[in-house]
Amino acid sequence: METIRNYLETMFANLPNTMDVLKAKNELYQMMEDKYEELIAEGKHENEAVGIIISEFGNLEELADTLGIGGVINNNVDLDTRLVTDDEAMEYVFEASQHKLLIGVGVMLFIISPIFPILITGSTGSLGGVVGFFITIAVGVAILILSSARMGKWSFLDNLNCVIEYATANALYAELRNNMLSKALMKTIGIMCIILSFIPVIILDELTAKSFFGPNMAPASLFIMVGIGVLLIIASTAKDGAYNKLLSLNDSKKVAGNYDSIRSTQHDYGNEVFNKIMPVYWKTVTCVYLIWSFLTFHWHRSWVIWPIAWIIHRVISTSYSDKRR
Amino acid sequence: MTNNMIEISSDVIRGYNDTMILYILMEAPSYGYEIAKKIRALTEDKYIIKETTLYSAFTRMEKNGYVVSYSQNADNGKKRTYYKMTDAGKAYYKEKCAEWQLTKEVVEHFIRGDE
Repeated sequence: METIRNYLETMFANLPNTMDVLKAKNELYQMMEDKYEELIAEGKHENEAVGIIISEFGNLEELADTLGIGGVINNNVDLDTRLVTDDEAMEYVFEASQHKLLIGVGVMLFIISPIFPILITGSTGSLGGVVGFFITIAVGVAILILSSARMGKWSFLDNLNCVIEYATANALYAELRNNMLSKALMKTIGIMCIILSFIPVIILDELTAKSFFGPNMAPASLFIMVGIGVLLIIASTAKDGAYNKLLSLNDSKKVAGNYDSIRSTQHDYGNEVFNKIMPVYWKTVTCVYLIWSFLTFHWHRSWVIWPIAWIIHRVISTSYSDKRR
Repeated sequence: MTNNMIEISSDVIRGYNDTMILYILMEAPSYGYEIAKKIRALTEDKYIIKETTLYSAFTRMEKNGYVVSYSQNADNGKKRTYYKMTDAGKAYYKEKCAEWQLTKEVVEHFIRGDE
């Protein structure tokens, strides 16, 4: 049955995304499905059934008049489209998520770089601290530049009119869904790291006051925690970005563009403003939290942003999202 | 697959796909695959209507008011589009039958069974 679905989707891929076309596709699918079930019930082998159905499908030209698609069918082969194959798609997902991960590492290095001047103090050490600080930043920058350069070969995804096949889209969507849990988990742990970053500060403050690094261990731990947290948050979205990029390649005005709509349906708040704000809600909250905390260093106070933000989010989503229909 | 060597010409049959579909809908409303199956059975596998032919006939006849479509759950719970003949459809069917009689008569004059 999957073969038939793919066949039909491929036949329709270049047609305009109108109600008439979609209705025709559904109706034809219904008929083919009925036929398939009956052929299988008659004891036909799956391949044989598929062969019969495809040979008896007919010709889309017959639908040209009813669907107003004459022009599209006659120049079905769009010369300037570039098909992204299955293998390419998987390779892109792999490399793009690696790229995102490296960005995360780079950003983490920027965040933790101040620990060197904090930890290495005293008359002999202060120079070492500054050197450590700059080396860390330099390594971070190098990682960002190198990984961006590696992504250069994928620039054709933006520059050419690329398309993916239905089967590829389906596989990508399945992976996107499989990835949801690990993504949520990573994001949660990342946010927890940031929220709880003041805890090691308190503990270490008590414990290490008299140790080698002295009282500076505590503030340093804060940077490390936040750095790890940010890395996890960035890494959690690594694969998603790649999946969504590939799934949105197809022209939304054509049937193939519908592969796009099978990915996570965006929440509809029934309100222009909220629809724009909510997708970036948690990112904004994280930014506000980090900015407030780093500017004032009132970590013991700034965490209240999280429970407050959570309550606001609940209120908005419960009072708006159900009104959409 | 048909047993006969002669294939039916789609040009000739095109004008009568509607007639066949309406004939079947005269008994009871039906859906795509069932109609295709009945046409095949009634013609003893000599004519297998293509899916796209069937669908374009449906849309054309619906536009002309010969049939109306509606959604209904089939016995197995699957949602299907059913087609029902209208009075205009009945009149059109009779017209087509008369047209065929005439066509047959005319063409018949020029057909020689022997040789």
